[in-house]
Amino acid sequence: MILKAEDLGYSSDVCGYVKNDIGLVANDMTGPFGKMAKPDLLVCTYSGCNTYIKWFEALAAHFNCPLYMFDVPFSRGPETHAADIRYMMSELKELIVLCEKITGKKYDEDKLKDILRRSREAEDLWVDILHSAKRTPSPFDAFFEAVFFMAPIYVLRGSQECVDYYRAAKAEIDARVVSGTCPIPEEKFRVVMEGPPPWPHFRTFWELFKTWGVVCVGSSYSKVGGIWDFGFRHDPERPLESLAEYSLECYTNYNLARRVEMLNRYMKEYNADALVIHSVKSCRAFSMGQADMREVFIHDLQVPTLFIESDLADPRYFSKAQLKNRIDAFFESLEHQRIVAGKTA
Amino acid sequence: MYVAGVDVGSTATKAIILDENQRIVGRGLTHTGANVIKAAERAFAQARADAKSDDYEIGFIVGTGYGRYKVPFGNTQITEIGCHGKGAHYLFPETRTILDIGGQDTKAIKISAQGEVSDFCMNDKCAAGTGRFLEASASVIGLTLDEIGDVSMRSSHPLRITNMCTVFVESEILSHLARGKKVEDVLRGVNNAIAGRSVALMRRVGLDDEITFTGGVSRNKGMVTAIEERLERRVNVSPDSQFIGAIGAALFAWERTQKKVGAS
Repeated sequence: MILKAEDLGYSSDVCGYVKNDIGLVANDMTGPFGKMAKPDLLVCTYSGCNTYIKWFEALAAHFNCPLYMFDVPFSRGPETHAADIRYMMSELKELIVLCEKITGKKYDEDKLKDILRRSREAEDLWVDILHSAKRTPSPFDAFFEAVFFMAPIYVLRGSQECVDYYRAAKAEIDARVVSGTCPIPEEKFRVVMEGPPPWPHFRTFWELFKTWGVVCVGSSYSKVGGIWDFGFRHDPERPLESLAEYSLECYTNYNLARRVEMLNRYMKEYNADALVIHSVKSCRAFSMGQADMREVFIHDLQVPTLFIESDLADPRYFSKAQLKNRIDAFFESLEHQRIVAGKTA
Repeated sequence: MYVAGVDVGSTATKAIILDENQRIVGRGLTHTGANVIKAAERAFAQARADAKSDDYEIGFIVGTGYGRYKVPFGNTQITEIGCHGKGAHYLFPETRTILDIGGQDTKAIKISAQGEVSDFCMNDKCAAGTGRFLEASASVIGLTLDEIGDVSMRSSHPLRITNMCTVFVESEILSHLARGKKVEDVLRGVNNAIAGRSVALMRRVGLDDEITFTGGVSRNKGMVTAIEERLERRVNVSPDSQFIGAIGAALFAWERTQKKVGAS
């Protein structure tokens, strides 16, 4: 798919997710999961990354269909502005009118409230799972497992299936706690992971950490589709307002100070030993500021920090030998420091 | 009981043998070439011959370097980052920052007063600023790596080399030479370009204290001068600078034997 998109003229530096999608469209809308239908309307909110703007404009031109682009104000301070929420709500109202026109159906607020009620139920269960990583040893890997566990809340949100899924997942985690089962046989290091995973080499990447007994107790990528673990929930009593709040409260819509604050909160609340920054070559939304983030954690917050690079979608940027060398050196020195500290203590 | 460290680098493979008092008694050095296992065996055999240690037992062997898992006789593996920290600390105990420029990697390593790695930064997926960059530059001019240091020291008007790409730098050098520029000024420019990049890498881990320069490129006097001028201070360079990774590996091996002795 990536090569197909590059054949069309997309540069090697363009986001791997974009090229996967464009490649799929160019491939007669057919991907590994089957064929996608042609859209009647494209809706885009780019709080995930401003690359979405051009991405969806290209799709709209290709499909020759209307595009509703949510203009999402970037987080400019420590908190979300009330004016931004009102602005997002006005956009939601515009979208409702547009949808009514295209579909010929009336907007049904009761139906939306039902959906939000079920969303909230799934969110409560998901947060319980995320919080389980506060235990030592952690029954759950809050990065390597979380990035799979998070899928239903993004693509099936508001459905009963989604609630059922998280109920089953929560039961599994509870059972792990009872039986003492953990993602790795012996937990040695607890880390917070910043950045997306290298999907084409997911297993190899995980194994590089497993070798050292590393479990991720917190991660930012598992929050790109919503940050619920600090208390936010969709509220059926305030449907449009809470949807507006949700759209603004996205990790990649946060400024650098808020990102650092959130990761540092994970470091403390989840009792982590180190921060790992997996910088992604083709992802601007994540990579921007990560070099400064590294400085802040190492020098100001005195947190051991490992900085490694590959890509989220393009297998050509994954170099196992280089990653292994950095990961081994980092945990080797953490382990050695622990042994020395143990001796002097 | 003797111990050994074998550092399999991308260009050269180094072996060191230490005696029970952590004194260096044997050194081996060979080109890595295509057969990494053979190179490790060759360097180790050289070091044994140098130490005249055929009669002694080698109690523990640590492999390091990018080919550390290809040292078939090694007891364990430790990354070259840890080993350079250990080795530099052994030779220069006040060292806090290490610059290691090898064949395909440039690393800045920060160590504690005990020689433990506290932070490191490396170049990524590109040979800019590494030994390979120097080698490419030297070969355009028709010199060997060992010659370019002395030649560059004769420069009075160093040129500014702007390409950091190992492939493109060759054409930049050729165009300078075609315009009648002196070889020494070109080489000094190459050294200055690498020094600039290396110092920037060191700043990322911190530059407060004593600095030690290690790896094959530290044998190039022109590079040492260029880095010292850029930093406006002296850096430590040992005659054994190319062996520091292997020395560190051997020191780790020595520690392992001490633990064994203590346990039994």
